[in-house]
Amino acid sequence: MDAILKVEGVSKRFGGLLALGDVSFAVERGAIMGLIGPNGAGKTTMFNCVAGIYKPTEGRILFAADDAQRDVAGRKPERMTALGVARTFQNIRLFASLTVLDNVRIGRHCRTAANFFGAVLRTRSQRAEERRIVDDAMECLDFVGLGEAALSQASSLSYGDQRRLEIARALATQPRLLLLDEPAAGMNPRETEALVDLIHAILARGVTVVLIEHDMKLVMRICKHLVVLDHGVKIADGTPQEVRANPDVIEAYLGKGAAHA
Amino acid sequence: MFEQQLVNGFTLGLIYALIAVGYTMVYGVIELINFAHGEIYMLGAFLTLSCISMGLPLPLAVLLAMLATAAIGVLLDVVAYRPLREAPRLAALITAIGMSIFLQNLAMIIWGSRPLPFPRQALPAFFAEPALRFSEVTVTWMQIVIYVTALALMVGLNLVITKTRTGTAMRALAQNRTAAALMGINVNRVISFTFALGSGMGAVAGVMVSMYYNTMYPTMGYLAGVKAFAAAVLGGIGSVPGAMLGGVALGIAETLGAGYISSPYRDGVAYAVMILVIIFRPSGFLGRSMVEKA
Amino acid sequence: MRGAFKTLLYLAAAAALAYPLTPFRDVYVLHVLVLIMVYMVLAMGLNILPGFCGLLDLGFVGFYGIGAYTAGLLTIHYNMSFWLIVPLAAVNGAFFGVMLGVPTLRLVGDYFAIVTFGFSELVVLFLTNEIWLTRGPLGVPGIAPVSIDATWLATLLGVDSRWRYAFRGEVPYFYLGLLMVILVYCGMRRLEDSRLGRAWLAIREDPMAAASCGVDLLAYKVIAFAVSAGIGAMAGAFFARWTLFISPDMFKFWESFLVLCMVVLGGLGNINGALVGAVILIALGELLRVALPRLGLPTETRFLAYGLIMVLIMRFRPGGIFTQVAETTMQSGLIKELRARLAARRTA
Repeated sequence: MDAILKVEGVSKRFGGLLALGDVSFAVERGAIMGLIGPNGAGKTTMFNCVAGIYKPTEGRILFAADDAQRDVAGRKPERMTALGVARTFQNIRLFASLTVLDNVRIGRHCRTAANFFGAVLRTRSQRAEERRIVDDAMECLDFVGLGEAALSQASSLSYGDQRRLEIARALATQPRLLLLDEPAAGMNPRETEALVDLIHAILARGVTVVLIEHDMKLVMRICKHLVVLDHGVKIADGTPQEVRANPDVIEAYLGKGAAHA
Repeated sequence: MFEQQLVNGFTLGLIYALIAVGYTMVYGVIELINFAHGEIYMLGAFLTLSCISMGLPLPLAVLLAMLATAAIGVLLDVVAYRPLREAPRLAALITAIGMSIFLQNLAMIIWGSRPLPFPRQALPAFFAEPALRFSEVTVTWMQIVIYVTALALMVGLNLVITKTRTGTAMRALAQNRTAAALMGINVNRVISFTFALGSGMGAVAGVMVSMYYNTMYPTMGYLAGVKAFAAAVLGGIGSVPGAMLGGVALGIAETLGAGYISSPYRDGVAYAVMILVIIFRPSGFLGRSMVEKA
Repeated sequence: MRGAFKTLLYLAAAAALAYPLTPFRDVYVLHVLVLIMVYMVLAMGLNILPGFCGLLDLGFVGFYGIGAYTAGLLTIHYNMSFWLIVPLAAVNGAFFGVMLGVPTLRLVGDYFAIVTFGFSELVVLFLTNEIWLTRGPLGVPGIAPVSIDATWLATLLGVDSRWRYAFRGEVPYFYLGLLMVILVYCGMRRLEDSRLGRAWLAIREDPMAAASCGVDLLAYKVIAFAVSAGIGAMAGAFFARWTLFISPDMFKFWESFLVLCMVVLGGLGNINGALVGAVILIALGELLRVALPRLGLPTETRFLAYGLIMVLIMRFRPGGIFTQVAETTMQSGLIKELRARLAARRTA
C-alpha cells in the first residue's frame, strides 16, 4: 500500500491523563479513511497530533507528501500546513468578522510570499500575487459552491455553509492530506448529501481525506477503511464490514449506551 | 543593616501579598487581570481616612472601609465586567484599564491630588516605638501589627477558600466555569464573593501602607497595583498561597535591590522581576502554565 | 446626498490645508493641530496591536519615548539631519520591539499587556536615572528644529549654493506633520489589505485557525509589534524636533492610555477611526484643560472622562464610532473587479 500517512505507536499524555495510547495506523494515498469512536475516544487529539497542534509524547508520524517520507511528529501547525496537511475544526473556527473571501485568502498564506516591504511598496510582484490570491480563493469558493457569497461576512453564513467555507479555506492551502473533523455535524440530510458529493470531488482533486464522523451511515458509505479508537486505544482497523462485525467495536458503542452503531 | 533590610522587606512583602491575593483570586475565577484592583487598595486608605475624620476609632474605620471597598469591588464586577463575560478578552482588559483610570481620577476629585498624611492621632502612641530589638535590628510595634493583621487575614482567607462551601465553589470555578455552572453553582454569586473578598484584603493593605509610610495619594494604587500583580505572577497567577509567597519574595527583593544595587531603580526591581518571571517561568512558583493554549 | 457629503468633505479638507497660510491662523490652534497629527500617527501605530492582532499593548509610549530620545540625543550630540534621524529612530524603536516581543509574544495576551506596561515604566526609569546619557529628569533642551539643507544637492549638481531652511513657528511643522500622517496612513491602508495584514487579522480572529492556515503566530505578532513600535518611535522623533525639548515625564503611562483610548473610541482595527479618535480626544483634552480649573479641579482629572469613554465604548459599542465591518478593505481595485465579475455572473 502506498501510504501518505503512517502513524506509528503514537501516545499523548496530558499530565496523568493518557489521551492516546500507542496508536498505529496507515492512510492510503488518494483514499478516504474514517476515524471513528465514542466521545472522548481521542479522535480529535489524534488530528491535533497530525496537524501539529500537539506534540505526541511518544511515537512517529510519517508523512509522505510525495515520495520522500519523513517523521513530522512535533512540527508546528504552520509547518504542517506548508508540508501539505490541512484541517477543519469540530467546532467551526472561521475568521468570523472577516469576509468569506478573506477567510479563503488567508488560506493561501502558506503558498504565497509577499512581505512587509512588498505590501507597503506595492511592488509589481506583490500586486500580481494579490491578483492570483483572489483568483485561487475564488476557485476554492466556487468549488465548494460559495462563490456567490464571496463578499459577505463569514459569520452571516448558514451553519452548513460555514462548514463548507472551512473546507474551502483548508483547500486553499493546497493540501495533500485533508483532515475533516465532524464535517456533517449539524447538517440537515440535504446538506449532508451535498457534503458527500463534495468529499468525492475533493478526492478527485488528488487529495487524501481523513474523516472524523459520528454519522455512521455516512462513514460506512463513503469510507473504504476505518480505524476505531476507544479510550485512546485503537480497537479496530479494517473495512467497514470488518469493523461492523468486530465485537470490541460493538461493545465500545453499545457499552456506552450509544445507538448509532 | 542587612537584617534590618530583611525586616523592612518582609513588612512590605506582606502588604504586597495582601493586594496580590486579590489579583490572583479574580484571575482564578474569571481569567481577567483586574487592573482596577490597585485603585481598590487606594480607596481603602482614603475611605479609612474619611471615616477617621468623622470621628470613628481606627478599627471601626478600617472595618467600614473594608466593607465599602468590598461593595465597590462587587459593583465594579457587576457594572463593568459582567456584561463582557462572553466578549473577547481584549474588551474586558480595556474596560479594566478604563475603570482603573476612572477610579483614580474620581479619588482625585474627591480628596484632591496632593498626598495626605495618615491621621496620626488615630494611631495608638506606642505604634512608633520599637517592640523588639536585636543588636542592630529594630521592629516597631506598627510592623508587628502589620505582621499579625496580614498573617491573620491570610490564614482566614485560606480557611475560607478551603473549608467553606463558597470557597470550594470558587476553586471549582477556577477549574472549569461551565462544569461548575452545570454542577449548580451560582457562578455570578461566587464571582461577586471573590471580588468582595479580594477588595476587602486590598483595602486593609491600603490602610497599612498609608499608615506605614504616613502618606496616601490618589495615584498610589498604580504602582502598588503593578507590584502586587508582579507578586501574583511571581507566585503563579491563580494560586493564593503563591500570591502570598510571591508578595513576600518581591518585597524582600525590592528592599534588598534598593539597598544594595541601586535605589533609583527600586520600582524597577518589581518590573524586572515581573518581566523575567513572565519570560522564563510564566507559571511562577506555584501556578499553571500560561503559554498560549492551542 | 452622498455626493454632497463628499464635496463638503473635500471643501473642509481644502480649507484645513490652506488654513495655516491664511491671515486667520492662530498659533495656539496650529499647535493643537500639529499635536493632533502626532497623536494620529501614534494612534495608527498602536492600532496594529489591539486593532489588527487583538493584543493589548499598554507600553506603547515607551517606543514613543525611545524615538524621541533617539532623535533628541542624535540631534544635540551629532547635529544629525532630521531626515536621517526619522528612519534611525524608527529602526531603533522596532529593534526594541523585537527584543521585547520575541520572548513575550508566546504568552497569553494578558501577560503581554502587563509586560509592555512594565517595559514602558522601565524606559521612564532609565530616562530619569541614566543622567550621563539623558540628563535625567531635567530633560533635553535646545534640540535643533527640523531643517532642510540643500547643500548636498548643490554639491551634487556642481552649483555653488548654501540654501538651507530651518523650520520656524508652527506652519512648516503643520505641513511636515501632514505629510507624515498621509504617509503612515497610506502605508497602513496598504498593509491592511495585504497578505501581512490578513495574517494579523486572522490572528485576532482565531489564532489556532490562523496557524492552521500556515500563519507563524510568533513571527507575525513580532512583526506587528516591531512595525507598531517603529511608527511610535517615528512619531517620537517628530515630536522631539518639534517641541525642541523632551523630558522623561512626557512618556509616562498616561500617554499610552490616551492613545489606547483614541483607538478604542475610533473603533479597534479601523484606521480612519484612529484618526477621528485622535481629533476628538485631543480637542476634548484642550477643552477640559480650560474648563476643569474653572470648576476648581486639577487638569489631570480629565482622564476621568477618558476612562469613562473607554468603559462605555467597550460596553455599548465595542466597535467604536466606526464599527469595523468586513467591508473596510473592500474598496481595493481587485475587489471592485471581483464585485463586477460576481454581478455579471448573477445576471448571466
